[in-house]
Amino acid sequence: MMRRRVVITGMGVITPLGHSVEALFAASVEGRTAVGPITHFDARTFPTTFASEVKNFDLANYLPQAERFRHFGVNTHYALAAGQMALAQAGLLEVTGDRTRMGVYLGSGEGKEDFEALVTSTAKATQPGERTCNIRDAVGWLYQRLNGPQEKEQEMFVPSGQLANEFVLEGPFASCQTACAASSQAIGEALEMIRANEADVILAGGSHSMITPLGISGFNRLTALSQRNDSPQTASRPFDRTRDGFVIGEGAGLLVLEELEHAKARNAPILAELTGYGSTADAFRMTDPHPEGQGAIRAMAEAIADAQLQPADIGYINAHGTSTQANDVAETKAIKAVFGPQAYQIPISSSKSMLGHLIAAAGAVELIITVMALRHGIIPPTINYQTPDPECDLDYVPNRAREARFRHALSNSFGFGGQNVALVVSAFTD
Amino acid sequence: MVSRSRRLVLTGLGILSPLGLSAEAFWQALVAGTSGIRTISLMDASRLPTHIAGEVPGFSAKAMIEKSYRKTLNAMARTVELGVIGAQLAMQNAGLGKGTVPPQRIGIEFASLMGATDLNDMAAAAKLTSPDGETVNYATWGREGLNEIIPMWMLKYLPNMPACHTTILYDIQGPSNTQIPGDAAGLIALAEAGRIIRRHAADVMVVGSSEGRLNPITLARYNLFLELSRRNDDPAGAVRPFDATRDGTVSGEGAAVFILEDLDHATRRGANILAEVVGWSSGVDRGLSGQGLARVIRHALAMAQISPAEVDHVNAHGTGTTTGDAFEARGIAAVFGTQTRVYAPLPQFGNLGAASGLMELAASVLALHQGQLPGTINHTQPDPNCPVYVHTGRPQPVTQPYVVKVSYTPLGQCAAVVIRKWNP
Repeated sequence: MMRRRVVITGMGVITPLGHSVEALFAASVEGRTAVGPITHFDARTFPTTFASEVKNFDLANYLPQAERFRHFGVNTHYALAAGQMALAQAGLLEVTGDRTRMGVYLGSGEGKEDFEALVTSTAKATQPGERTCNIRDAVGWLYQRLNGPQEKEQEMFVPSGQLANEFVLEGPFASCQTACAASSQAIGEALEMIRANEADVILAGGSHSMITPLGISGFNRLTALSQRNDSPQTASRPFDRTRDGFVIGEGAGLLVLEELEHAKARNAPILAELTGYGSTADAFRMTDPHPEGQGAIRAMAEAIADAQLQPADIGYINAHGTSTQANDVAETKAIKAVFGPQAYQIPISSSKSMLGHLIAAAGAVELIITVMALRHGIIPPTINYQTPDPECDLDYVPNRAREARFRHALSNSFGFGGQNVALVVSAFTD
Repeated sequence: MVSRSRRLVLTGLGILSPLGLSAEAFWQALVAGTSGIRTISLMDASRLPTHIAGEVPGFSAKAMIEKSYRKTLNAMARTVELGVIGAQLAMQNAGLGKGTVPPQRIGIEFASLMGATDLNDMAAAAKLTSPDGETVNYATWGREGLNEIIPMWMLKYLPNMPACHTTILYDIQGPSNTQIPGDAAGLIALAEAGRIIRRHAADVMVVGSSEGRLNPITLARYNLFLELSRRNDDPAGAVRPFDATRDGTVSGEGAAVFILEDLDHATRRGANILAEVVGWSSGVDRGLSGQGLARVIRHALAMAQISPAEVDHVNAHGTGTTTGDAFEARGIAAVFGTQTRVYAPLPQFGNLGAASGLMELAASVLALHQGQLPGTINHTQPDPNCPVYVHTGRPQPVTQPYVVKVSYTPLGQCAAVVIRKWNP
């Protein structure tokens, strides 16, 4: 029996570089960045004072009675807006077709944290000079100070559940959190659900923001973030020798994945075909990737094989490219292992150089950029690339976009915890 | 149609529950009808309206963790410890060790949530930042407070850490994913693991779940928005599934981990088979009418190619909440009427959230294996709003080969799994 083919029929984004796929891609091709001082809270004394923030976002532009969602976290807001755009493009916003065959698979993170209630409640129950608090009192203060209606909407099933309820997607659902690989994994496993005939359509992707006091604090303590506070816009410099960590971003990217015959039958716009998926674990360390990219190699190789292609068929790689010392070297080694000498001929770029790292949402937004690159024949650059690193010696499309026609592209996502995901998208031909 | 080329069997089980530190203790307590719900002792929760819960008694990660991995415990919150040790128990129960299966042929699916920070991990930073306990000085937090926080802080709490540590501990290099859709996460993880084996991306999957929600922040939050029983004076009788006098659920903690395996692989290595997984489905019941849940159950039965009459019992989530139980009962009744027994083990250990689905499923896996179905406790007064036949009282023989397990979230995200008694 022929395997069911899956195509992309809609895409939507909320990102620091634009609130539409077109705006995001135009900014990417121009090599713009939205990185700047953190405005969501006062981070002026943090080790890292900048981020790539979503600006001027208003949920009311996308949904009626948006005030319904005032208690929700931005992860839900961004997901709803991006989902609305993707479904509108796919022609599925109107409730037609068998909605029990349409589902949701979202990679998303924690919701909004009430930093002030946490800190004041704990502090009020801690004696001066002590390192531990009186738990009984702290719990009492938390119960008084946390906002119940707001807390209720921060549960981790909420973003995926709201997408399903709002857009009448009553079929299979899932929601994963595998750190920076989450939305790519969501897209890959959604592909498999459609192939397995459990659904015909899945709204898949990710939504996340960790530009919060606890998010920045946590990453700062791990020394994962760039601390180039005097030059935020050049801080994200994947594959450059002077890179010093990633720049945190936020946003959402959602794609309508649809079984090919289903899409044809309703004359849906076919943007590209999702042809390959590979998923592996490093089994190495909590944060560091395997130094030789062992798991990344297999993820890429599996995705290419799953697409029934050879490495030579891949015309562009959208790298994970975080701008951390460890990732960029390991990813470069992994690409060389998979592609051999041809690795030097393939254009590779990192969207994170412009967008920052959208964590759970990163892979989905980067796949959308990859689809646009495929459709328009233009590869967005890796910006801020100035100083070559002898250990990163491939073609990273430095600083300027490049015209290139290709039929198949690979997008990588690797996460804290050792999850490696690779996806292959292909130009659609019947 | 869904590929049925590979058959899926459960070959290992690890349980850490309010009923004890092993699957055996869990089963003995289920049969005896004893409860693991008690006044919370992990912390002083007396200022909360509900201060009873299901705690795992006598749990010591240090005593149970593989010695080689003991030093990593300082990077694990309790929910992560429970998950990793639950996985250890499951691997041991399945007769699997590091390298027994080629690393690339074994993967992991975990159901989990973001852990809440231990308050004492941030107490010193908080005091610096808010000396009066009323206002927060962000500048002080950034300048001084942060230095008081351990570098590994974030890693203690990330949802994917149970899976991460388990992959390192056992050199698991196949697919690794972590599901977060609340109480439905466990069954979603099991279904995805099934798809992964069926598409030959792995031969063996660790399918686990853990939940350590008995911490100050989470308990305070849940007391604010969950319907929790106020029966603090009667912990064992607090959760009353489908009962007319029910007044809410009770939180619990624990880990439930299965090993799911391709049948041929299991047979070749002479594994002990606990049950077969034959069907699953998920879907969203908008408005909680029960019709969506019924549809999901019917899809799972269709995948298993069985009729409702072949089902020994439905294993319900049965949280003891007013609207939750009524919703669930409507969905079950729409498929099974009042003919099929409904079993709800939750009142004996509490609502384990991310770990609820697989913990509850474990009760029925053991029931099929032992041939005896324990009774649901605390169901004494049937509620006309819950039109299902709840199995209560002494254990009764299992008479039919299949069980349907149901889970859901408050947003109507429903999941069902069908398992079959294993007959060699």
